[in-house]
Amino acid sequence: MTPNMFFLLTSLLFSIGLVGLVSRRNLFVVYMSVELMLSSINLLLATLSKILGDASGSVIALLMIAVIAAEAALFLAMIIHLYRAKKSVDSDSFTALKGVKVHD
Amino acid sequence: MLEISIFFILAAFMLGGSIAMITNKQTLFSAFGFLVAMIGLAGMFALLESRFLALAQIMVSVGAVVVLSMLTILTINAKEENLPKEPHKYKWIFFTSVLVLPFTFLLYKTLTLLPQSFSTMETITSKVVGKALFSEWVLPFEIISILLLSAMVGAIVIARKEIVKKEEHS
Repeated sequence: MTPNMFFLLTSLLFSIGLVGLVSRRNLFVVYMSVELMLSSINLLLATLSKILGDASGSVIALLMIAVIAAEAALFLAMIIHLYRAKKSVDSDSFTALKGVKVHD
Repeated sequence: MLEISIFFILAAFMLGGSIAMITNKQTLFSAFGFLVAMIGLAGMFALLESRFLALAQIMVSVGAVVVLSMLTILTINAKEENLPKEPHKYKWIFFTSVLVLPFTFLLYKTLTLLPQSFSTMETITSKVVGKALFSEWVLPFEIISILLLSAMVGAIVIARKEIVKKEEHS
């Protein structure tokens, strides 16, 4: 078990999250892709903590988990709000800010 | 040897779960793939000997975040016609994967510059984490608590049915 395997897994998970974020239009899948990218960074932090023999990486990952929970609460509330307005979870259907003129 | 086989089983779980997450059409099946990936991540934390992190991952990510998203998916209960039409979904996923692949390779190559051996240290128990959290990481901890409070208030305000106009009644 070498750190390289964990690094490869981290990069693969981050890239899968990026692919899901860019290529899908379902709002829930976009949300879960963001969560997956954050979680892959958590795995990297835990690996670094083990490499350096320092507990600080684990503590940062613990704080990241709290940030992930806050992000989940806000994102799900936003999805409920958007669904109530448009009856759709398609990210292309939310065009309320399209063509808004900025006066300078 | 045992560790390596556990690693490969968990990695297969995580990769399979996340690929199922981004390819499924039904939202609930995507959430199940996400659940599998999160459980695999908790196993990875346990494999890296940060026990407290594995417990927190199980409790917060699996127990709260995934369950909350599944609850939201079931509450919204989007019908087939409300789901986005994605006729060229696999084409898009393939195209984006080809675009992202060099980035993945770059990320991996950058990470391999880090040290290549694990240090021999004792397991990171909750005692060690607690000592670090309340001595040198106490300011980020307080900021996180304020962030969680404001996220809670913000979620309630955003998801409320309509904005109560107090001025009109009084």
